Amino acid sequence: MIPNIEYFTPKTIAEALQLLSKQENVKIIAGGTDVITGFHQESSRFTKTGALIDINRIPELHQISETTGSVWIGAGCTFTQVVNSPVVQKEFPLLVQASSGVGSLQIRNRATIGGNFVNNAPQSADNSRTMPLQEFLIRPYCTQLAFNEIVTNITLAKLPGSYHGSYYKLGRRRGVAISRITVAALLNVVDDAIADIRFASGAATPIGMRFPEIEALAMNQKVSDDLLRKLAIQTGELVLERTGLRWSTAYKLPVLQQLCYQELFNAVYGKE
Amino acid sequence: MQKEITFTLNGKVQHSTVNNNRRLVDFIRDDLKLTGTKEGCSVGECGACTVIVDKSAVCSCLLFAVQIDGLELVTVEGLEEAGGLSMLQQKFIEHGAVQCGFCTPGMLMSSYALLLKNPNPSVDDVKTALAGNLCRCTGYKQIISAVLDTK
Repeated sequence: MIPNIEYFTPKTIAEALQLLSKQENVKIIAGGTDVITGFHQESSRFTKTGALIDINRIPELHQISETTGSVWIGAGCTFTQVVNSPVVQKEFPLLVQASSGVGSLQIRNRATIGGNFVNNAPQSADNSRTMPLQEFLIRPYCTQLAFNEIVTNITLAKLPGSYHGSYYKLGRRRGVAISRITVAALLNVVDDAIADIRFASGAATPIGMRFPEIEALAMNQKVSDDLLRKLAIQTGELVLERTGLRWSTAYKLPVLQQLCYQELFNAVYGKE
Repeated sequence: MQKEITFTLNGKVQHSTVNNNRRLVDFIRDDLKLTGTKEGCSVGECGACTVIVDKSAVCSCLLFAVQIDGLELVTVEGLEEAGGLSMLQQKFIEHGAVQCGFCTPGMLMSSYALLLKNPNPSVDDVKTALAGNLCRCTGYKQIISAVLDTK
């Protein structure tokens, strides 16, 4: 049973911030796909909530715009908006691929990119602040967001040069499944050497994260099958170090290592 | 704690007073008495409660009723044409796409939302649009052919 709550629908960010600082036990609701199910299932994260601030009526949170060097995605943009955006399609095809694999169409029509980060499921106040995503995410269901802050947008720097990327999501089924392992690799290979690499996983790790250790190992190395294998094996070992042994390790570790190899391979050789 | 809302229900303007904690699915079934919309899983996985809000298919178990203030809501009852079944509904019958019927309203609404945006969908388009609607009886093939035949 959902408790009876106060419900606010501010029209501006300023109005929303004012409500946030005035009210106690208040939560923001955007797409609602986590908040409403959390309420309905009486999750401990919601038992004390007495008021919701619905940010769906704040126009600037729903825009996607572009400057010369970056793309600005309003935190309230749904995954459907991200998937259908020509500028995101052009600049960040991996984000389009990952977004189009989130839940079902009904979920993507509601769920927002900002909500996904804020919830930090293994999935501003007086001043505005900007920080890298990896600093923002702390641990499952926990971020740097203070009680009186709102995530307004996600800024993505456009990539210079010729990067190739690859992304894979492994779930229990092909579609409409919660991720078990996700791996993304983005590489810039110049003269057969790795000039830049961004390598990250979600779900296999407690929160989405990049692997700076593995990226450092790969930098400036000549691309070879041995190198990709070594990186994949070590990524698996690193994840095991972070998560500890679980009952599923015997199954997951080889799959994770194989996926890492596959995604690095695809990114190097430009396969989709 | 309640709110006054005004929205379009199946083409007609509707004013209602709703509790802030009322989910859209409960509002539709218990307050509006439109029981064509079904509730299955309650967590946005089965699609039985799918309705159309501002031309997009959504799970009505994942919205509060207050959220549709000012918007346009279409439920399965809104598919009725001239007092009878719409073409899409007739094609579901012709293709044997209805068995126990529990998933059918959600299937119809997801299909209808697809056809609104894309009147000539491919098999893959239909599969993507219906991926969030579970059926345990007919096995999907008949449903997909019914939608493809409604061009």
